[in-house]
Amino acid sequence: MSVRVIARLDIKGPNLVKGIHLEGLRVLGRPERFARHYYEAGADELLYLDVVASLYGRNSLVDIVARTAQEIFIPLTVGGGLRTIEDIRTVLLAGADKVALNTAALRRPAFVGEAVRRFGSSTVVVSIEAIRQADGRYEAYTDNGRERTGVDALEWAKRAADLGAGEILITSIDREGTGKGFDLGLTRAVADAVPIPVIAGGGAGKIAHVWEVVVEGGADAVSVASLLHYTAIRHVDRAETAGAEGNTEYLRRNQPGFSGVDDATLPEIKAYLLARGVECRPTPSVTSNV
Amino acid sequence: MSDAPAPRVAIVDYGMGNLFSVKNACAQAGMSAAITSRREDVVAADVVILPGIGAFGDAMRALADLDLVSVLRDVAAAGKPLLGICLGMQLFMTESHEFGRHRGLGIVDGEVVRLPERPEGRRLKVPHVGWSRIRPPAAAGLGEAPAWSEPLLGAVPAGDFMYFVHSFYCLPADAGAVVTLTSYGPTEFCSGLRAGNVVGFQFHPERSGSSGLRIYANLAASLHTTWESGNGRTAGSEIRTA
Amino acid sequence: MSNQRPTSSIEFKHTRDRKVRVLHLDEEGVCDACRFAEQKEQIDWAERERQLLRLLDRHRRQDGEYDCVVPGSGGKDSCYAAHVLKYTYGMHPLTMTWPPLLYTEIGWKNFRSWIEIGGFDNITFKPNGRVHALLTRLGIENLLHPFQTFILGQKNLAPKIALQYGIPLIFYGESEAEYGNPIADTASSLRDWSYYAMKDLSGVHLGGVSVPELIEKHGVGLNELTPYLPADYRRLEAASIEVHYLGYYLKWTPQESYYYAVEHTGFEANPVRTEGTYSKYNSLDDRIDGFHYYTSYVKFGLGRASSDASQEIRNRHLTREEGVALVHRFDGEFPERYFREVMEYVGLKPERFLELCDEFRSPHLWERVGGEWRLRHRVS
Repeated sequence: MSVRVIARLDIKGPNLVKGIHLEGLRVLGRPERFARHYYEAGADELLYLDVVASLYGRNSLVDIVARTAQEIFIPLTVGGGLRTIEDIRTVLLAGADKVALNTAALRRPAFVGEAVRRFGSSTVVVSIEAIRQADGRYEAYTDNGRERTGVDALEWAKRAADLGAGEILITSIDREGTGKGFDLGLTRAVADAVPIPVIAGGGAGKIAHVWEVVVEGGADAVSVASLLHYTAIRHVDRAETAGAEGNTEYLRRNQPGFSGVDDATLPEIKAYLLARGVECRPTPSVTSNV
Repeated sequence: MSDAPAPRVAIVDYGMGNLFSVKNACAQAGMSAAITSRREDVVAADVVILPGIGAFGDAMRALADLDLVSVLRDVAAAGKPLLGICLGMQLFMTESHEFGRHRGLGIVDGEVVRLPERPEGRRLKVPHVGWSRIRPPAAAGLGEAPAWSEPLLGAVPAGDFMYFVHSFYCLPADAGAVVTLTSYGPTEFCSGLRAGNVVGFQFHPERSGSSGLRIYANLAASLHTTWESGNGRTAGSEIRTA
Repeated sequence: MSNQRPTSSIEFKHTRDRKVRVLHLDEEGVCDACRFAEQKEQIDWAERERQLLRLLDRHRRQDGEYDCVVPGSGGKDSCYAAHVLKYTYGMHPLTMTWPPLLYTEIGWKNFRSWIEIGGFDNITFKPNGRVHALLTRLGIENLLHPFQTFILGQKNLAPKIALQYGIPLIFYGESEAEYGNPIADTASSLRDWSYYAMKDLSGVHLGGVSVPELIEKHGVGLNELTPYLPADYRRLEAASIEVHYLGYYLKWTPQESYYYAVEHTGFEANPVRTEGTYSKYNSLDDRIDGFHYYTSYVKFGLGRASSDASQEIRNRHLTREEGVALVHRFDGEFPERYFREVMEYVGLKPERFLELCDEFRSPHLWERVGGEWRLRHRVS
């Protein structure tokens, strides 16, 4: 079975942002431009997360989703602050294929079942962001990694699958944005515990990490952010930064790179996987444009 | 380009499915498509697309509530091009085993059954989500000249990847209806079928990048010729590029 | 930000009835902090860096002696300051720590990372615990200012260490002007000496209590008060000790300091949201932090979320609208997590603390509605 490599874009307002441990809102540019770049580079799916929606109590991704859906023909999953059936419907009508539910699902698990019944299992991804506790277990957090829930991440994953979720996205907050590699133990535990596909997120810093989380972590799909963005930023048109909203200091300094992650592109990641016998869809060649 | 009015494509809206992706893909291929749940629109269209995501039983109920069941059967019987995507393809079948037994549209003989989770002792995740290869049922090597019998797959390399997301698959009674096969673990299933003017794809061509968009381009091109029922034609013979 | 925000004061002269000088708002209703943020964009940072280089070139030592002191406890700012001075500018800093009253786990971890991963020599001065707890309690009882004992050391210790070791330069991070001190303060890189030096003991109050009263009524020896007292002005002058703000020379973006600290010194954000705010990267290391912000909320109507949000709004990380939403949601959240522990440490009954909070609520800010306290004016 093919492994999917998913480009994850954390979005705040009009900007692509990238934090560490789900903190910090450093702006890297315009999400649409990065999305286009990744689509052409062979991303298998895109994942848009509005990182402040739950925290701020608002939703604002619809425009970006609509613009993306018009020109990008791979699956798009959208999450962040989706609290009601209406919220989900709005985002699907704008062009999203799947939705990722986190905070709202943990607060009221029945919501997962309701969404599944209304929109189908395959439309509903339950996203779990977890922090390792002293006793080795993982606790699920909400509100962009800020509020404890007291809920065991593994138990929650199983329950979400029972409620009908189509996939689980499991992100290690401890690793997220650091480039230190995925939490293989966490991924493996979730992958073994549920009968549905598992997407691993949080921590890719080298191409080898992507391979590792598939082969050792048992992930069916891999969500990658920092590893791709800090390289892509050199190839994507810079947005206007003067007067722009958000923490644009990094962009203005114009010093590329973040030492926590290697340079990496999607074609390189795909090639690496294929060379080691992990089946995936290779980057479409440039001549095959429609 | 001819002076004839743009072909009317009706994308059936029965409350389930990624309608806008399909519409965008049609637009990309130069076809103007309308998302509609009205009988009149479906009848008037030159091409009808039946998308779908969700449960079989719910879908049939929704179609019945909208009084679209007989219309779709009529479209099929009238020889008009009818394309089913994912659940849409499954709805063409006689019957499905999803959450009980449900009758389908009965346009294509066959059943809909679940992907096994433990085929031959292996463990497989269901739903099948991701990119998988499609290949023609006749033995053909990967990368060789496509041996598709299916005109909509013209210029799509055999073994190309398409995007799937499903837990069930179709078992057409007539093996000759199978136009593409896909493997998921040890399970080989029908990922594309054609019965006369009725075509179905289990994968989502509108979510399969440039590979999938080719199918829409071929669909657009085919609208400039008459879409014939009966034996398929090899790619390139009757299809004029737009 | 509101006109209630107090500016920095000379802590060791702080008495209960001092008049607080508040944030200055100009004729357009724009506060000094925002004006400063605007000015920040106009500053020629290349020129400021040149000034820094000239300063550093005069003092750089390569013979093994320290050439500057960087005070801090491993928070993102001291991580950035120490690292950039040592590794970018080739200085030989001695880091110096007046530790938190009660380290949080993440605070201790970050302190160690600063030293062990960042790679710095460090002197930590831990004051007499008995007196420390006493002065903290007095600070709460007389001023509702639990943080004073920490601030006293934070401001006073570095110059004394510098004197001791003969190190002429001290670098703090941001100027308080970033947060709203009179804008005149920012014209210079130097901290005003009155904050960290004294001429004699007259007028000195610690915990709101005069020195004689501390000695007579509370049984604290003069020797035991020394750690909290600033250095003698004459000795500092004779040794030509200079206290600079690195933020004068290098453009300071707090969130970027966070990224820098993670990248270079192994800094980790708080695993949970810090109480009273939405952020995870500011002021994480002291269990009493939450009380500092909570008491500010009581006294001035401005809690931690207000403080964090204003800073991020000034730096354009957030829009004002977003900041307001966050303030409404989190400002004034009671620091429940460490309440019992902190009260035990200072020797106060929890109920007494809550009583004190009520005593200190300014009537022009608070009103009682349906048995609960409510701010008369909420930001909007």
